[in-house]
Amino acid sequence: MTLETEVEALRKVPLFHGIDETKLRLLAFISERTEYTTGERLCSQGEEGDCAFIILAGSADVLVDTPEGEKKVAQVAENSIVGEIAILCDVPRTATLVAANDMDVLTVSKDDFLKLLKEFPDISLEVMRTLALRLERTTRDLADARRGASGA
Amino acid sequence: MEKGLFGFIWKYSARQQIFILMVTVLTYPVVYFLLELPKLIVNDAVQGDNFPRNVFGFDFDQIPYLVLLCFTFLGLVVVSNGLKFYLNIYKGRLGERMLRRLRFELFQRVLRFRLPHFRKVSSGEIIPMITSEVEDVGGYIGEAFALPAYQGGMLIVQLGFIFMQDPLLGLAAVSSYPIQGYVIPMLQKKVILLSRKRVKNVRVIADKVGESITGVAEIHANDAAAWHSADISDRLYENFKIRYEIFNRKFLIKFLNNFMNQLTPFFFYLIGGYLVIQGNLSIGALLAVIAAYKDLAGPWKLLLSFYQMTADVSVKYQTVVENFDPPDIYDTERLTADGEVKLDGDVKFDRVSFSGGAAGQEVMDISLTVPAGSSSAIVGPDGSGRSEVLQLAAGLVSASSGKVLIGDHDLDKLTDSTLGREIAYVGGAVHVWTGTIRDNLYYGLRHRPLVPPERSAEENKKYKRRVNEANQTRNPVYDLAAEWNDFAAAGVNNDAELDEKALELLETVRLDNDIYRLGLQSRFDPSMNDAFAEKILNVRKSLAGRIANEPKLSGLVELWNRDSFNASASLAENLFFAVPSDPEITMDQVPDLKEVKTFLSETGFDQKLQQIGLKIAETMLELFANVSGDSGLLGAYSFINQDELPEFERIVRIAKSGQQRPGLTDADRSRLTGLAFKLVPARHRLGVMTDDLRDEVIEARKRFLESVVKRGDSFVAFDPDVYLPPLTIEDNLLFGRARVDRRDARRRIDNVIRTIVEETGLRHPIIYAGFGYHVGVSGSRLSAGQRRRIALVRGLLKNAKITILDDIATGLTEDDKTLRSALRQVLSEKTFLYGTSNAEIAAEFDQRFVLDQGRITDKG
Repeated sequence: MTLETEVEALRKVPLFHGIDETKLRLLAFISERTEYTTGERLCSQGEEGDCAFIILAGSADVLVDTPEGEKKVAQVAENSIVGEIAILCDVPRTATLVAANDMDVLTVSKDDFLKLLKEFPDISLEVMRTLALRLERTTRDLADARRGASGA
Repeated sequence: MEKGLFGFIWKYSARQQIFILMVTVLTYPVVYFLLELPKLIVNDAVQGDNFPRNVFGFDFDQIPYLVLLCFTFLGLVVVSNGLKFYLNIYKGRLGERMLRRLRFELFQRVLRFRLPHFRKVSSGEIIPMITSEVEDVGGYIGEAFALPAYQGGMLIVQLGFIFMQDPLLGLAAVSSYPIQGYVIPMLQKKVILLSRKRVKNVRVIADKVGESITGVAEIHANDAAAWHSADISDRLYENFKIRYEIFNRKFLIKFLNNFMNQLTPFFFYLIGGYLVIQGNLSIGALLAVIAAYKDLAGPWKLLLSFYQMTADVSVKYQTVVENFDPPDIYDTERLTADGEVKLDGDVKFDRVSFSGGAAGQEVMDISLTVPAGSSSAIVGPDGSGRSEVLQLAAGLVSASSGKVLIGDHDLDKLTDSTLGREIAYVGGAVHVWTGTIRDNLYYGLRHRPLVPPERSAEENKKYKRRVNEANQTRNPVYDLAAEWNDFAAAGVNNDAELDEKALELLETVRLDNDIYRLGLQSRFDPSMNDAFAEKILNVRKSLAGRIANEPKLSGLVELWNRDSFNASASLAENLFFAVPSDPEITMDQVPDLKEVKTFLSETGFDQKLQQIGLKIAETMLELFANVSGDSGLLGAYSFINQDELPEFERIVRIAKSGQQRPGLTDADRSRLTGLAFKLVPARHRLGVMTDDLRDEVIEARKRFLESVVKRGDSFVAFDPDVYLPPLTIEDNLLFGRARVDRRDARRRIDNVIRTIVEETGLRHPIIYAGFGYHVGVSGSRLSAGQRRRIALVRGLLKNAKITILDDIATGLTEDDKTLRSALRQVLSEKTFLYGTSNAEIAAEFDQRFVLDQGRITDKG
């Protein structure tokens, strides 16, 4: 795969929706392209997060630690970005990622992503907008959940 | 040391000076005849009559007479120039020898300074004294006696001639000399003072520059660059002012000289003219006198400039030498004596006082006894006199009153040859020498050359010459090429055992892992140790076997394989399937190698690589065009750094425009090729590596092997069965590349390598290879902790009867605690003095002496 195909994939990631192509190419270029085989860990819950993963191919299971051991709570698939929280604020990984099948992943390191944000404010804006949307949705979900809980 | 320059010259070169003088006098008649002959040829041979002439009993007609005279002239030309040539060489050699003697003497004096003296002098001042300031002395020495004698003689002869013609004219000729002889030295005196001032000022500048280099981190950390700039600039201005003064006076002297010299003819014309008109002097005599006076000007001028040079050089000599004569300097004996006294017995301080010249560096009236073979702690905070007591015990400084004894020997009466061998001292501020780790570890065993090297007849001749020169200049004749390591002192028999012993001690101080890592990164020459190379190749094979069998590992590396493309390696490595034999050659230099150029153009790869390079450059320009240089993205990821960007912009523009003129230069093409060479396809996914291209690259390898690798020795091919000297030991073990597209591949594969190395017993040889690691300037490529540990091993390796450690491993951590008990273990039979500021640590030792403000406050 070349930069061009990676840019195509990045374009499908909602977070990078409004960002123009040259900047996506730059993002792709400074990221590391890594492969994971089935069952390999991308990251573990609780460890320090120093990069975000953009899944180009394949999918990963999201596991969280429970008293009964690790439990699968979700699956992330192609064209999604995971672990971006860790590179925006210094929090430990909130979940473990395990490759569900053979994966092709772009890894963006925290430092480089922050440099990119500093360099191109419109990317920051786009990231902010996406996060705000997500927050808004989470808030609404929470409100719904509360209403549901109090109604019950 | 001789205080004056002439004292020094006469003492060490009187015989040579007399010889020079004699040869100079010998040239005198030759030169005289050389000047007389042309007159004889013209007047006698060409214009003369009444031939034949009788010369030495032979009759000569006019033509043979002319020929005879001309050939005599030619002969004299050869003789006079030959003599001059011989004399110049002789003087030059004498000057160089004297300079060597002087410089060595100065250096030896530096070694003879007592330690406290170094608080007053700095290296920044001493270095220019020994190197540049005495340089002029060498050129001067050859001329010191000959020039004044020769030119003075000429002057007297010419003057005599004038006086013989007419005493009055003679007086006129010398009339200006008394004035010149009075005024010029007076002016010169001022110049001498100024030169002294200048020399001292330049020393301060050198010192300040040196200090700025040592403290450069402080300058940046405190934003003090402006202050230092102002300081230096001020000193430079001072220098300018002094120099300007000197110029003014120097040229004033010149002006006066010239004026006086030309004033004299004025008297000649006036007085001589008067005498001729009065009929008291013939016109011919006047003309002869004027001609003779012209000849006077030459020697007179030379004598004056010689006088100025003498003044200048003497001042330089004095200004240097006065710094090397402190009253309390050690005897030369202390450095050069070979006698070694065995220091058995207790370390005893008998009412010892010492003052380092500042508060907190005093020791007052201390008496103590450390029994032989025991371990004692000297406890006290910095400034309590602890370090001074330990230095006194090591014989590094001398007591101002009282005595430091070991057994019955007063340390002050012993020489380095005893102190430096019987006592091991490692202080808080250690020094690691520029060189390899091995050099540093065995430094404490290199006291004297022990086993002379074997030399061929040819080498022996060269060596003899070296010794002869050393003897002539009172330099030491120690042979640098000899075996210096004192195996017996370390308790071993040969190099291999010494290495083992050093490793044992490195393990004790726990530096072995660090050196193992350095060893993995180092290169070694397989011709020195076949067996080791063989073992590495075996590990390479078993590693390859494991990689092939374990799917987990095989995903982590791409091994070198002649028939497949290695996407984790650079395009250059893939194309050549070889590496330059000289590891110093960088990727940017490779395209300019002659054989590479030929290979590329023969295979047509030059065009292809330039296209790839162009594509890379274009992409980089496009990607990074809007990125600011200080974001750090450019340097870390691009092939091109910020400074090169405009250059590549130009190259791309020219290439794109397709114009023939100006077109790309060869250098531009090399740059593009260099860019392509650096491409690592798996990392830089730029889409330039097509499958066809991969096949072509693999195809071209064979050709490179045949046409370049096999024909010359500038490249070494990747071969699974051969050790590759240009690669590090680690790369030789792996023989491939950790995949860049697998997370943590490097670290994971390193762990596998480490286990295999341990299993096969290769760890020790790799550590020995690490001994060859170059530590950088004063050990700058090692951490402070590593430096301290190396100095510690150096001290332990000496196997001395008394070991003194100050401020070493004084932490309360478990690590330091184990290290201390290991040290006590190693030194169990020896006298061991340990300095620390911590009472808790001191409790670990047999005996304790607590110091406070230079006095012992507690013993236990």
